[in-house]
Amino acid sequence: MLGRRGLWGNLTLTVAVVLLLLFCLFPFVQILSTSLKYQADWGNPSLIPTQFNWDAYLELLGWGETEELAIPPSIERLLDRPGLTDAQRERILAPYRETADIFPFPRYFLNTILLAGVAALIALALAVFGAYAFSRVRFTGQAIIQRSILFVYMVGGVLLMVPLYQIAVGVGLAATPWGSVVALVLIYVIQTLPVSLYMLGNYFRTIPYSLEEAAAIDGCTRIETIFQVIIPLSIPMLVTVYIYAFIIAWNEFLFASVFLRQYDDLYTLPLGLQTLFVSKNAIWDRIMAASILTLLPVLVLFTFAMRNLTGGLAAGGVKE
Amino acid sequence: MASVTLENVIKRYGDLQAVHGVDLEIRDGEFMVLVGPSGCGKSTTLRMIAGLEAISEGTCRIGDRVVNDVPPQRRNIAMVFQNYALYPHKSVRENIVFGLKRAKTEPAEIHKRLAEAARMLRLEPYLDRKPAALSGGQRQRVAMGRAIVRDADVFLFDEPLSNLDAKLRHDMRTEIRRIHKNYGTTSIYVTHDQVEAMTLADRVVVMRDGWIEQVGRPMDIYLHPANLFTATFIGAPSMNILDGTLDADGVHLGSHTLPVPPAKQAVAAAALEAGGGRARPIKIGIRPDFFEDCAFATMGPNSVRLDGLRVEIVEPLGFDREITFHIGESSAMARLDLRSDIAEDSTIDLCVDLERVHFFDPDSGKNLELVA
Repeated sequence: MLGRRGLWGNLTLTVAVVLLLLFCLFPFVQILSTSLKYQADWGNPSLIPTQFNWDAYLELLGWGETEELAIPPSIERLLDRPGLTDAQRERILAPYRETADIFPFPRYFLNTILLAGVAALIALALAVFGAYAFSRVRFTGQAIIQRSILFVYMVGGVLLMVPLYQIAVGVGLAATPWGSVVALVLIYVIQTLPVSLYMLGNYFRTIPYSLEEAAAIDGCTRIETIFQVIIPLSIPMLVTVYIYAFIIAWNEFLFASVFLRQYDDLYTLPLGLQTLFVSKNAIWDRIMAASILTLLPVLVLFTFAMRNLTGGLAAGGVKE
Repeated sequence: MASVTLENVIKRYGDLQAVHGVDLEIRDGEFMVLVGPSGCGKSTTLRMIAGLEAISEGTCRIGDRVVNDVPPQRRNIAMVFQNYALYPHKSVRENIVFGLKRAKTEPAEIHKRLAEAARMLRLEPYLDRKPAALSGGQRQRVAMGRAIVRDADVFLFDEPLSNLDAKLRHDMRTEIRRIHKNYGTTSIYVTHDQVEAMTLADRVVVMRDGWIEQVGRPMDIYLHPANLFTATFIGAPSMNILDGTLDADGVHLGSHTLPVPPAKQAVAAAALEAGGGRARPIKIGIRPDFFEDCAFATMGPNSVRLDGLRVEIVEPLGFDREITFHIGESSAMARLDLRSDIAEDSTIDLCVDLERVHFFDPDSGKNLELVA
């Protein structure tokens, strides 16, 4: 009777699973629900809005009508004052113009995609060769190098934030917008590399060594073997590692907030969200809609990763 | 095509020496089989020839070229692995032509060789399949195809049949013989199965514990094993090794006395003399195949009778039957044919040709016949 449960056992298990799921999913449902509610509905504990409000989404995606904020008469009078420079005039008007630009989702989205995409790509490329070296090549100091890389992973970001920023300032990277982006990409690569190396290295070890020997006999050099045999056989794991690195960079806030603080054109989504939260434009439906939009790509990628994680490619080549 | 020459080749793993100074010449076009129990160094030797293991000491030549420091991809060899080692992401076709493509062979030539190999190995219906969709035998044929399309100097086989079932193994053995007949490429074949060694080889190298025990043509090794190890390793069922005593009268085996045949008298005399003329223990080797039921035997000038042997076990195998009987202190096996319809616990008279009986030195294990 091993592994068989009675009715009560089944019921308990089901209830436990459902409770756990609810516990995990409730915040997300709450976000979605709030993002779709009108202001009057916010106090309503029901998760289903009495009336669906798409305004926040339309506004964030730039598809809504941009509403011109009326400039109050008192401000008009202020502007009429003689001796006001253009710059001063601009600053007075700014709060009334920026409304269309509360949360430029498309731009932040693009910034984040590029930043996370490039960082993940570099991390993946480095991880392929690094993991290959760790899993297949014997060299002196291997164990030490392998462990020191994992050590990076054990140190929290907050500890490294200040020294890393100081280094970036020291080498002149923090002084320019692009320099800051480069610094940030480097940090994301370093942050994701330990786990990427670990995941890929373990995967490479499952690829039979005789396949590489066969490739060598067939005339491949080591590098050619990596491209002809190892990489094609590891595609599911490569995709997984890429997605992992991408998601880490996509959600990263701490370093982005330090390095990009002064360049609001380069804000990433988490940074933009935080700015939105603390701005005068912090309206619940808008915040929640922005959160959903930030979450969506991660969700899509995760679904992909799940599909790739099942099914190994290496089956059938060798007799175990 | 090329010859392969090993001169005092040694393989060390740290303090452990796996292969001790192997000297071997594999002639151009020869089919050489390295055989021995697991851990005897045969695979290591093969892998050193392939370049997959570094040679610790000594030289390995393919043709006239010393290849010690040449990486496998530049040795122009083809290899069939025990576990097939097919590229799982490539189709059968791509697997077979991969090496040719790497070597930048003309497409027309690739096509021709692929077609030829596929026909020969009966792989035509499977060319577009992935290895996962093939049976074990088909996979091994693909691995074979991958080797034969290459215009390699040497084919290396690392226990290619040990993952197949008995019937398939027999078929593939025939296949390999046919391939060698057609292509005539120098081949080195590693196996622990003495049947493969006997059937495939032009010459056999018997190895044990990193040493070469004997090199020779299969039948020479079968009929004239150099020592107790090759005697028992080659031939199935394996040779009976019985304890006897040698003195001036001949060899005593329990109550039986075997006269020393003329061809071995000189050696026997020398062996006795070395021991100061005293009777000395000796190991007697008789293959089960060389026992005959006296009822049907034709007695030659060197035949002896061993009368009244008690039969313990009879195992009928169809045409053959294997009987286990007692002789002296030991038990031995004989392979008789179906005419000898005997019951267990009865007695039988067996004849044996003394020319087929071997005497081994119990200390060194050497065959006395070959010592002289």
